[in-house]
Amino acid sequence: MTYMRKRRVVESDVCIIGSGISAAMVADKLARERSASIVVVEAGEDVPPLDRRPALRQRFLYYDENPWPNDHLEGYEIEGPLQSRSMCVGGLAMHWGGVTPRFSPEDFRVKSLYGVGSDWPISYDDLEPHYVEAERVLGVAGEQGPPELDPRSKPFPMPMLPLTYNLELLKGWVTKAGIAMWSQPSAKNSVPYGGRAQCCRNDTCTPICPIGAKYSPDFTWSALRRAKQVELHTRTLVRRLDVDEHGRITSATAVRRGTRDEEVEYRAKVFVVAGGYVWSSHLLLASRNARFPNGVANASGLVGKYLCGHRNVQAFVRLPMKLYPGINEQHSLVTKQFMRVPARQDGKYLRHDLRVWESASGQAPRLRDDSGALMLGDDVMRDWRKRTERGVARVRAYYDVIPDRASELTLDASKKNAFGDPLPKLAFRDAPESAELKEWSEETIRALMRDMARAGDGEVLRTQSDEFQDHPAGGCRMGSDPGSSVTDSWGRSHDHENLFVVGAPTCVSASCANATLTFCALALRSGEEIGRAFPWRGRARAT
Amino acid sequence: MRTVSRRLFLSWVSSALPVALVARRTDALAAAWIADDAETLRALAEAVLPSELGREGIARVVRDFQRWIDDYREHAEIVHGYGTSALRFTRPSPRAKWALQLEKLGHRTSDVGHRGGFASLPLEARRTIVAEELKDEKVDRMPDVATAPHVAIGLLAFFYGTAEAADLAYGARIGREQCRPLAASPRKPLPIAGARA
Repeated sequence: MTYMRKRRVVESDVCIIGSGISAAMVADKLARERSASIVVVEAGEDVPPLDRRPALRQRFLYYDENPWPNDHLEGYEIEGPLQSRSMCVGGLAMHWGGVTPRFSPEDFRVKSLYGVGSDWPISYDDLEPHYVEAERVLGVAGEQGPPELDPRSKPFPMPMLPLTYNLELLKGWVTKAGIAMWSQPSAKNSVPYGGRAQCCRNDTCTPICPIGAKYSPDFTWSALRRAKQVELHTRTLVRRLDVDEHGRITSATAVRRGTRDEEVEYRAKVFVVAGGYVWSSHLLLASRNARFPNGVANASGLVGKYLCGHRNVQAFVRLPMKLYPGINEQHSLVTKQFMRVPARQDGKYLRHDLRVWESASGQAPRLRDDSGALMLGDDVMRDWRKRTERGVARVRAYYDVIPDRASELTLDASKKNAFGDPLPKLAFRDAPESAELKEWSEETIRALMRDMARAGDGEVLRTQSDEFQDHPAGGCRMGSDPGSSVTDSWGRSHDHENLFVVGAPTCVSASCANATLTFCALALRSGEEIGRAFPWRGRARAT
Repeated sequence: MRTVSRRLFLSWVSSALPVALVARRTDALAAAWIADDAETLRALAEAVLPSELGREGIARVVRDFQRWIDDYREHAEIVHGYGTSALRFTRPSPRAKWALQLEKLGHRTSDVGHRGGFASLPLEARRTIVAEELKDEKVDRMPDVATAPHVAIGLLAFFYGTAEAADLAYGARIGREQCRPLAASPRKPLPIAGARA
């Protein structure tokens, strides 16, 4: 007897693979503006509804439990620094910090301005309208920084999150140190917005906002599903893309995970790969066959290459001021003063952001005093109280790391998922110009932090730097030359006209600031191009 | 009424039954033991927690701590770390270990020449016993509650992880990780009456 596996066929105008924040941006834009049927395919599960989140948060606070149960696939332990195991509706942005700075104009022209890395095929000005759009869709509360540091064409959609008592004091300190800082823009509601509540400082933005004041993509999916503007298929893992003789993607072959592991074939006019910096490149590489031995969209050989991110240096600075940690610990001051710099005379390249938070580091209650004697009863509280008299600031700089071609995602022949597909393997490598400046870069930042401490009559308690490259991106970098890039500036594959890669993977570099807003702006820009294939929806064009 | 000592029972079941079964049975019994030893736990709390909480405050912390113990889930997934694909899970419940430690505390009263229970000892005598129990523990900072090697440290870590403890330390109503009006965040937190703000 031959077992015939059942195969279901699903047809749509647009098939979006992945349901993270970039996917949500594309779907939202298409649904707002165009008449097109949209199917979204997500390997993971739905996330718990808003009304369950306070209880899930409480278990996180008490027991450190993951507030997003079942948000990953089993057996996906991979080699290399994976940003997160999350694979669920909403993706990693279910537990993001909601921090939304823009890149600066220099980020798009580092080769021209500083002689390092590669320029992007678009400028800041090209992306600026989509930054505005992303800020509106997410709902960003922000403060306009000095215009020369913080260029923008439209005001933020919401007033800034107010600076806390602690941040006001810390702002006075950094001003004395000659640094202009302002309220970090955040996708958190400073007023009710988008049908969601105003932030009330629960202060667990990462990993969970219990009231929905922080934007997460599940809100977009809920609205689109309620309005029947998208069909979202969960627990469905896309295993490969299929290409016809004209180079068009005809289908995405997937498996609906479950007891029967039903096979599903998605057919669409346009395919949008929105799997973030790992799963986008992984799918393209895993789609290899006799005709495309290096994978789909990979004539350049660059799929999976030029993974990028930024490293950080941070310091904890004790200051002669009484602070009250916990007023709103996840909110911070930010500056772009060190991002918007001219090329140095000595030719060395260093650009970084700078943020300042309240902190309780080094002030936690303890069991033994300085002499090592055990404390019990009132002694513990007395000791803690004594150590709270002076405040501590956390200062952190992300600095730009130029990626090497060998900073890459490859298929790992030694590790396979439940369906026999190879898992990815990640290795981040600096380009030579960044590698040789690593020590100097980090020491320069530490020196700045020491200067800051001195300006406030404070002292640096400790510094640390992190090898992990945060806000990872790349793997399908955009460019004008098909020989040196995977997609054009819209995210359209150079090799397949109806295939788009959106968001993080298309980044040429990762700047030196949190990158999610830029991923969203890029995805919205891709959505604009994708939408051109479909008629305007109602009055969308007029608006 | 207890007919077999906990230590005797544990040594018996662990030699006679499979490990998983022992763990489940022991945990169930430990829940009852801790409930039985509520008085010892309260007496311990009075010895190790700050007196400014008062009797009612200490009783409340003990109740919350017991609830924490009761609601603990073993092998629950812990929040993802960034930069790794490894998953982490909560450890076995500390309940059985802590129940035994509570019982042992009760038996230590004779060490200080006292005939009554631990709860009937003066506070300083209780602290002496607790300090003796903890003398070999290499714990400096407050650990995660679940990893506390001793019930006294678990109780301390539990209390000192609360917003209430932070407010007392800073002498102000900060209300960490509690829902508070956003508009109030620029204001200096109000002092706690009688506290040094």
